[in-house]
Amino acid sequence: MKTVLITGGASGIGLATAKRMAKSMRVIIVDRDGARAAEAAQALSASGASAFAYGADVTKADQIAAMMEQAAHEAGPIHAMFCNAGVSIKEPVHKISEANWDLMIKTHVKGVFLCTKAVLPQMCERREGAIVTTGSDYSICGKADGASYAAAKTAIYSLTKSLALEFAPFGIRCNSVGPGPIETPMLRAGRTEEEWAPLRAARAERVPMGRLGQPEEVAAVVDFLLSDRSSYITGQIIHPNGAQISW
Amino acid sequence: MASKGSVVITGAASGIGFHTAQMLLAEGYRVVACDLAPGRLSEIDSPALHFDALDVRDGAALKASVSGEEARGHAIAGLVVCAGIITRTPYLELDEETFDRHLDINLKGAFFACQAVLPAMRSQGRGSIVLFSSSIARSGSINGAHYAASKGGVLGLARSLALETAREGVRVNVVSPGVTDTPMPRGHASDEEVYAKAAKVPLRRIGQPQDMANAVLFLLSDDSSYVTGQDLRVSGGANLF
Repeated sequence: MKTVLITGGASGIGLATAKRMAKSMRVIIVDRDGARAAEAAQALSASGASAFAYGADVTKADQIAAMMEQAAHEAGPIHAMFCNAGVSIKEPVHKISEANWDLMIKTHVKGVFLCTKAVLPQMCERREGAIVTTGSDYSICGKADGASYAAAKTAIYSLTKSLALEFAPFGIRCNSVGPGPIETPMLRAGRTEEEWAPLRAARAERVPMGRLGQPEEVAAVVDFLLSDRSSYITGQIIHPNGAQISW
Repeated sequence: MASKGSVVITGAASGIGFHTAQMLLAEGYRVVACDLAPGRLSEIDSPALHFDALDVRDGAALKASVSGEEARGHAIAGLVVCAGIITRTPYLELDEETFDRHLDINLKGAFFACQAVLPAMRSQGRGSIVLFSSSIARSGSINGAHYAASKGGVLGLARSLALETAREGVRVNVVSPGVTDTPMPRGHASDEEVYAKAAKVPLRRIGQPQDMANAVLFLLSDDSSYVTGQDLRVSGGANLF
């Protein structure tokens, strides 16, 4: 049985992907919220899947190194990775604090760097592997009141394309998934159902398809990109976005 | 296996179209295979395969093919437009006939095929259309301006149709292959030259028609239920833009 490691795996798109991948692979859920990661892995194990959980902050090299060592010991080799950990902060550029800027860039860009750097040596050795990173529609277009997020997501896709080129000779594929508006805790941003309902409707109205996407619809794309069904696809970004952008 | 519905494929007698037909049949779809002549389709013995001899420049024939399948009692689940041609001609030697022929077959043929299936898909509130463009639509190609223009047109057609049908349950996407191991590139290159192109591909091989068929299968399936208006570049890492 092959193994996939998913960062940001305890909620939203990461969790939906963990649930889907657990049908065919061993799943390692990594999240800065270790308790929620453990809870998610327990639920998957209870339904017969093979699942492990680790609490780690993707911006901390020492935590990633420790987690990778423990995972290698307990779960074995890692064949696929979904770098999905992310945060969302909406604020106009002139109000972005340096701390928030750093948090955004570190979580997304450095997080992908540290995690892929940690897993690529074993993939190179086996001359096989697939990596998917979470980009966004904003990897391609800009976002008002979201400059730091768009910069981070564009950087992720740029990093992913470079990884694709550098590791293609080793048989390793690297792609991004670029979701549009997906109904996740991140999009909901802590709002109550009462606050969220009208916003959800307005947001859905702006999507050509007329609805928000579900995390499972992103998970299905990630599954495709991690599988042999996409064995000739690398350096690409697929957008489950209801046609919000096309390029 | 219960049928997943019918998929109309243009250019189904060879290359990517043929391999897509094979894969879709294996996955439980019915296939309405359209081409000038059966070609390699005669290798397939399946009750789920129907062949219609037609030219994609004939919109009425495409409509008749779709209504024929409906008359046989099958819902139109998908359309895959593979029919296409390529010749290599230096720009100043490019005559009007060659230019028109590429635009008519590669672009207008896609337009006719989409118009043929849309009424059925609209009334079902469901359907998936996959059009074939090419890496060349973005990169351009020496001696291939007419081909690049036709395939660029396919991108514009697909995106616009995706927007127009997004709320009707119909998805429209594109697959853009790089160099693929089919008869098409052999029209202007030897076997050796075709395989030599692998050296410029990051994954160090040229594409196989099955790679493209897998992309089509994904775009036809519910795995891509929130994916529309997109261009899936199946190119082994070449042309990352």
